[in-house]
Amino acid sequence: MSGDPSSLEALLARFRYRPDEESAGLTELPAASLEPDRPRGVDEVQLLTFGLGEGEYAVALGTVTEILRARTLTEIPRARPPLLGVLNLRGTITPVYDPSLRLGLSVSAPPCAGPDCARPPRAARILVVRTALGPAGLWVDRVRGVHRVRPGVLERPRGGPTGGVLGVLPTAEGSCTVVDPEWLLR
Amino acid sequence: MSSDAQAVDVCAFWVGGAVYGIDVARVEEILPRVVPLPVGDAPPHVEGVVHVQGAAVPIVDLRRLLPAGTPPRTAKPKVILARLGRRRVGLRIDGMAGVRRYTVAEIRPAGAVPGVLAITADECRLLDLRELLADRPANRRRGL
Repeated sequence: MSGDPSSLEALLARFRYRPDEESAGLTELPAASLEPDRPRGVDEVQLLTFGLGEGEYAVALGTVTEILRARTLTEIPRARPPLLGVLNLRGTITPVYDPSLRLGLSVSAPPCAGPDCARPPRAARILVVRTALGPAGLWVDRVRGVHRVRPGVLERPRGGPTGGVLGVLPTAEGSCTVVDPEWLLR
Repeated sequence: MSSDAQAVDVCAFWVGGAVYGIDVARVEEILPRVVPLPVGDAPPHVEGVVHVQGAAVPIVDLRRLLPAGTPPRTAKPKVILARLGRRRVGLRIDGMAGVRRYTVAEIRPAGAVPGVLAITADECRLLDLRELLADRPANRRRGL
């Protein structure tokens, strides 16, 4: 079958990608809009995703005031976990906590306070979050980025006490647990 | 016509026992491991959605839309993040078969094969994604 070139040309025109091609009538999904560059809606929430050990977690971006490169903290004698130490943040003494304990991760708090501690890993960051008692820091292993999502996309935990877990966000790599930062400090 | 306009760049992949192709310009990313979140009311060939850069992208299992068969043993299943107009869709495939360039002379119309526009000399079937993924009763039937 040789086919006439004009019809082959028409077939190839359908094959080739055009940004303005008509995509109406495609399978519509109820969960979310498929438009990658849709206008940013007021109902969207922004989540800051970060990693702790093997896991990925997220907090609402609005609660985070600052992200600092992890640095050696000032130790507090007999500080108990999850408190790691304090940080002088432009004159404000800011306590820094290890969220992995609250999340039930087996990672022990990194020794990052005091004069004879090791240098913090390059990827480690301190998230400064607003709390009722003033700013507090959360020591995380790495910061991934910001996700804009519609609240309906979050899988809410069903049944039972959920603690500070607000939901689970499906991502391309797996999923990420959305937590309440204040709960991590308690 | 210039030689560039006559060339067709194809991202080729295995689904079942055959090689299919889409325009490379559609391909945004190849994702190795994707765990979609199932959605209700979706047709059977839609596995669910994943979040890619803040937008929910449906994952479509092409193996449920195209004829069954056995891919080569070396094929590694992946998801192709493809552009469809202003949207994106994830295509679950059995394995990549590389990027190939064809001249128009190497391509012949496919005839009445649903979703397939044309076939190349080395039996790569060029897909009409819009036709294949359109929401029609036929797709729902084929999906099961």
